[in-house]
Amino acid sequence: MNSLKHLPRRIFAFVARDFRLYVSYRMQFFLRIMSVLAVVTTFFFMSKISSGFIDPQYAEWRDPLPTWLTGLAVLNYFMTGFSSLANSIRQEQMQGTLESVLLTPINIPTVIVASSAWDFLETTFFSFLYLFFGWVFFGVQFRGSFLLAIVFLLLTTIVLACLGILSASFAMVFKRGDPFGIFLGAGSALFSGVFFPTQLLKQYAGPKLGSISQILPATHGLKGIRQVLIEGHTLSQVTQPLFVLLGFLVVLLPFSLWVFSRAVRRAKREGSLIQY
Amino acid sequence: MTIVRELAISINNLSKTYPVPFRRLRAFFRRPVKEPVEALRKVTFDVYGGEIFGLIGRNGAGKTTLTKIVATLVQPTRGTVTVHNNDSVLDDEQVRKQIGLATAEERSFYWRLTGEQNLMFFARLHGLSDRIAKQRIRELFGKLELEEVARRRFGEMSTGNKQRLAVARAMLSQPPVLLLDEPTRSLDPLAAARMRELISSLGKQDPPVTILLTSHNLAEVETLCERVAIISRGRIRAIDTPQHLRSLTSKSEQVHVTVAGLNGTHESEKISFTRQSGDNQLDERLRDLQKRGARILDVAVERATLFDVLELYESSDTDKH
Repeated sequence: MNSLKHLPRRIFAFVARDFRLYVSYRMQFFLRIMSVLAVVTTFFFMSKISSGFIDPQYAEWRDPLPTWLTGLAVLNYFMTGFSSLANSIRQEQMQGTLESVLLTPINIPTVIVASSAWDFLETTFFSFLYLFFGWVFFGVQFRGSFLLAIVFLLLTTIVLACLGILSASFAMVFKRGDPFGIFLGAGSALFSGVFFPTQLLKQYAGPKLGSISQILPATHGLKGIRQVLIEGHTLSQVTQPLFVLLGFLVVLLPFSLWVFSRAVRRAKREGSLIQY
Repeated sequence: MTIVRELAISINNLSKTYPVPFRRLRAFFRRPVKEPVEALRKVTFDVYGGEIFGLIGRNGAGKTTLTKIVATLVQPTRGTVTVHNNDSVLDDEQVRKQIGLATAEERSFYWRLTGEQNLMFFARLHGLSDRIAKQRIRELFGKLELEEVARRRFGEMSTGNKQRLAVARAMLSQPPVLLLDEPTRSLDPLAAARMRELISSLGKQDPPVTILLTSHNLAEVETLCERVAIISRGRIRAIDTPQHLRSLTSKSEQVHVTVAGLNGTHESEKISFTRQSGDNQLDERLRDLQKRGARILDVAVERATLFDVLELYESSDTDKH
């Protein structure tokens, strides 16, 4: 109860710390904005040589530019979901600051949530920038409920964050070589329908490989967001991806927290909290 | 009237063996397997409220492991540690509220943040409001003479200032128990003397702060600590006041008296003798010298130091091995 009372303050502490660290490297902020603009421009020209799909089963892909931009924006967010937790733990370990953080009366779930809060804020800004640049410079129109899209985004991010917690546990014990990051990083771009419809995988690579996309939470999250933002679907029309995501959450959240607490206990037993 | 002191830290039958990660797996693949490291063996002692308790021993003796177990950063293999009746494993969050740890580890700070920003971050983690945190940080910077470097990035600070900042961080939440690991290691002589004054004053303040001090500076331990534990190869070999520990090595001490005017001469002369500590010999000799017309210029006493005691235990341990 006491931990919950202090939670916002502790999250703020991490965000303020990371903001200060971020602004101590000013140049990277401007370079990243420029790179987002370059990527959006590239995809605009790519959309000019691609006609899109007329087939109704590919409804979201009629005009590929908004689909790619939502894909890029959301992929950015998803990557943060599963990588930032492990990265922040690994970074604290490498810097040697994890011990001093764990010396304060702060519990493990708070460390996990708070240490990646800044990454989520930063990613929210840059993800929004993909959509914003598309709208301002290339006339991309988004319709549907932004609120519902945010619900999908948050839900998918929490599910991916659970995988991120598993990844952080891996970093805690094995220090390097994170299988979750490798599978999900490469897998999401290939199998979740970020750049092309997942149906094409089945068509060209067979049903076995094509079904991989169904076990990735990112596929369902992206599907829901596109249905809402591009096709203008309402809540009753997107219940299927919503329930799949909720199912992932119910299983992964308690499991990942349990695994992480075991990993911390193991690191404490081995005395390897600050080793990396 | 006897003053009953509250128990601040209680260490009971504490053992720690660092396991070898994936030992069975390594053995299965016939990879060379190291033996587990036994860092602490059945360590038992209590530290009382307001006491400055010293822990001395050679590198690798188990001091850091012991400190880290008390700080909840490492879990014991067997035995328990309680801090103000909170178990370090079962109530670790409560224990962390009661302690502040200052190590000489420079990597425990954010190098691109200033000293002030670093402390603000940790103060917020301790749940202090910004107003109280700022006030506390100002106070600590004053106490530890860090005002001039408060706005300097940690990476740009001198080693001594980094060390003082670590002590300031440990004291941020005003914990009743401080664990200080070589707090004067990188300080210049003046700064070290002020740090010792500060440590000594903490034990006397109201409410007093309990301090578990580990140091290789034995003179410092002797000056500051009420009781000292000698740790060697993970075992506590002796716990007592520095005076009693010294007397374990040798009860005798060498006295050197410098006198002038003895037997009518003007030249100074040095007279040395051995006495048992606490006997009347010094008094008798000085009276006798004065009777003979001597002017006492200087009296120097050579006693056994904690170094001698530590050496005694180390050599006996080496003999056993």
